[in-house]
Amino acid sequence: MLIKIFKICLTIAEESFLNKNNQKMKVIINYIILNGVRDRLYLSVLLTLIISFIVSIIFGSTFLIEKQESVSAFSAGSSRLIFIIGITLFVCLNLHRSFENKEIEFIISKSISRQKIIIGYISGYILSATIILIPLILALFILTKSDLIGLLYWSISLVLESLIVVTFAILATLILGNAFSAILASLSFYILSRMMGIFVYAIELPKSYGDFSNNILPSTLKILSVVFPRLDIYSKSQWLTYGISDFTDIKIVLLQSLVYIPLLIFMSFYDFGKKQF
Amino acid sequence: MILSISSKQELDRVFLGTFIILFVFQIFFWFSYRDIGPDFKIIENPPNKKFIKAIALGDEEFLFRSLALRLQNSGDIFAGFAPLKNYDYKNLYDWMILLDNINPNSNVVPHLATYYYSLTQNKKDLVHIIDYLDSHASRNLSQKWLWLTHAVLLANSKYDDQEKALALAKKLADNSNDDLPIWTKQLPAFIYARVGDSCMAFTIIKNLVDENESKKRLITEQEMEFMKHFIEYRLNKLKSEKFDPTKCPDYKKKS
Repeated sequence: MLIKIFKICLTIAEESFLNKNNQKMKVIINYIILNGVRDRLYLSVLLTLIISFIVSIIFGSTFLIEKQESVSAFSAGSSRLIFIIGITLFVCLNLHRSFENKEIEFIISKSISRQKIIIGYISGYILSATIILIPLILALFILTKSDLIGLLYWSISLVLESLIVVTFAILATLILGNAFSAILASLSFYILSRMMGIFVYAIELPKSYGDFSNNILPSTLKILSVVFPRLDIYSKSQWLTYGISDFTDIKIVLLQSLVYIPLLIFMSFYDFGKKQF
Repeated sequence: MILSISSKQELDRVFLGTFIILFVFQIFFWFSYRDIGPDFKIIENPPNKKFIKAIALGDEEFLFRSLALRLQNSGDIFAGFAPLKNYDYKNLYDWMILLDNINPNSNVVPHLATYYYSLTQNKKDLVHIIDYLDSHASRNLSQKWLWLTHAVLLANSKYDDQEKALALAKKLADNSNDDLPIWTKQLPAFIYARVGDSCMAFTIIKNLVDENESKKRLITEQEMEFMKHFIEYRLNKLKSEKFDPTKCPDYKKKS
């Protein structure tokens, strides 16, 4: 069974990325990147990032000491949030519009598998995200003179975090079929995933049914935490300020991404495969 | 109901009556709650640790800097700054400890405590600042010893509690890190000298000189000059009081 799954993964990866005649996927990717331009994603997110950097510099410079460290923490934290919100909005609205305008139906009518369409969309959204990420990381490097290794890990971690958010936003749009619900679901998923660390740590599961009925909400959260990724370990601003002394977090980030991103992709394959047009 | 009222005049009267009744209610409402004003607490009670961890959303450094900025600007009301004597220093202490739990490496909070919050007009409040600096430095004494020095100086001068200052100075002197400047070892001597215990002051400095002579501790020439000056100065001063260093209990053992 495992060998079969592995073979299927290899085939999809080979067809999606290694096949030189894979023009249709490239078209999807180019189309999404162009959509980013058309929707003014890059312009609006980059402008918001510039404003957040200015505000961070103003706040950071009011500190009596450790001004540079404060600017670094403020700009990294705020830019991460702006970037994630921007990319979530773009994915949900863009994908929903593709369904509304029958673009997906048009693509399906061509000789391209549904899995390739999903891979094409994910690649397109991630490339769009990278277009925003590159100037963001450069700006952070120039403005905050952060620890280089810390910045490298922070950037890798942010790319992986955005991959999880993008794949979840695609899945939410596919399942819910409504842009507004998908945006709310994706942002709630992001916030809950970032709070999961404390839920896992602080909530103790009740030992008897009586205790359970008195602690329904905390117990439900604890049970739910099983299906949520631990995004609270991703992209910590302290890596930029103090560097990385313990590589455990990085290992967890890589392992978590290795498990969760394929999980969401396969769920999207399954849901999109079952969709009737 | 409206439909059953026949004339327009009657309808207007109903509306006017309702308006007057509600207006009277509004006046009663204002009268009952006029004493409830906005809460002008300068420093709110700190939240608990778990809540802080949850609202950090995984980025504790960002939250730390935001809360530290808030702590730095607390008391900044639109009409100016509230005087430090009006601050609740117990709350301030709890906030500083909470911020230390989020980021124990930063020097922002001890810096604020030492150079800003220690300027309070209420001398009694200083105990919270001294305790905080002690707690902050004790987390990592080899790197944070400077804040313990500040705690010693505050306790010795502004707070004027030599007993507390001495306890902190001994803690600083007892640390095993040889990279610390020699004056961290001398601080208890200065405090003993201030309280008038010349024996102890003399013994501490003499012990340091002995350690240098037995090559246990290398002391720079300038430091040696200072210590010799300290001994000579104290001896000259104490000669008038007929002080005999050889009668100090530790003197015979160490020399």
